[in-house]
Amino acid sequence: MATMAEADTGELERLLGRCAAQDPTALEQLYKSVAGILLAVVMRILRQRDLAEDALQDVFVRIWLQSRQYDQIRGRPLAWMISIARYRAIDLLRAQHRVVPLIEEDLPPGIVAGDADESSGSESSRTISALQRCLDILSAPQQRCLVLAYQEGLSHEAVASSLGQPLGTVKSWIRRGLQSLRRCLES
Amino acid sequence: MNYDRQDLIELLAAEFVIGTLSGAARRRFQRLCDAQPAANAARARWEDRFATLALELPAVAPRAEVWQGIYRQITAGKVTPIGPRLRKRQWLALAAAACLLGIAVWLGPRLLSPPTQVIAVLGADVQHPQWRIERTTDAQQLRITTIAAMTSNPQNAFELWALPRDGKPPVSLGLLPRTGNAAYKLSNRQTAAVLAAGNLAVSVEPPGGSPTGAPTGPVIMVGAVVVSS
Repeated sequence: MATMAEADTGELERLLGRCAAQDPTALEQLYKSVAGILLAVVMRILRQRDLAEDALQDVFVRIWLQSRQYDQIRGRPLAWMISIARYRAIDLLRAQHRVVPLIEEDLPPGIVAGDADESSGSESSRTISALQRCLDILSAPQQRCLVLAYQEGLSHEAVASSLGQPLGTVKSWIRRGLQSLRRCLES
Repeated sequence: MNYDRQDLIELLAAEFVIGTLSGAARRRFQRLCDAQPAANAARARWEDRFATLALELPAVAPRAEVWQGIYRQITAGKVTPIGPRLRKRQWLALAAAACLLGIAVWLGPRLLSPPTQVIAVLGADVQHPQWRIERTTDAQQLRITTIAAMTSNPQNAFELWALPRDGKPPVSLGLLPRTGNAAYKLSNRQTAAVLAAGNLAVSVEPPGGSPTGAPTGPVIMVGAVVVSS
């Protein structure tokens, strides 16, 4: 199901168009395609299934309500939906002032969708290359900071404390990392 | 800060997307994206680029209840909109009621005001509350307090909606003030909608409010109703 989500941007755009026309079956199809990805994203940030599923519900209501706003300038539809999910999760996380555990084992055991492993694996190997190629050029601390911030939803302060580094150093790693990343991606 | 510089916009967009741009700076950049297509496009580019990192995570199947909850909420958008003409009159009545209520609140002794409870705080994000929504305990009145003045989109109106939990269509609760406070006497239908609401939402509408009775513009905020008894 993840493969379809990534591969068929046109189909996702058509479904968003039907959502904008108030067709609930279109949202259901979108849900079947991308809910597994979005829940993974949200759960990685929030770390609790109950909280993450509440957030996911909210995310799909937002996708439905904002589908009329979706437009191609906002990027590809999957990236747009992932962003809605991430921003929602980050808001919730920061509202809680929680210290987020960084240990992988602490992640709640998710029910991995049946076909997700295979499809997201092949998808990753296909589409991650440009970003990964450029991330690999960065220094190890820069790369770690960017991935922590993006995947775990950590603030500057939280990245600094999880790496045991001064805040100023972390801010500078992130800024320089992003600048190098941009140069690499645009070259 | 000079937002014209493309490098700065790129950096802000990237930090917005990874989430390290926070607080007031995050909100400022959000407004910049609303106003400047170049900033919006920069943000979209970074969202695209980083999305591949999200796709690295193994998918997690949600429980069936999640879709059922979504379905209940979204089917709220489907049924009969109120006629625009009737609504215009309702708006005038509401506006008049709001004026009177405003005066009453100013002049009347505080004891005469029924007790209220906060049912939602709406904002671009949790750190930036925009409006506090209170209702009287009998849900006959709504009180709105503007926490931060709404400065963007001066040509638009911001309309408040109740999204009922039971799958009924959104019900307009009125236009939100840009500054200061407002109070509205609710119709029976609006009272019922407030009591049945799982969420409140704010949409951007033409001056005077939605012409159709359903949200027509972008929904910029959705917030859960915290007390519903």
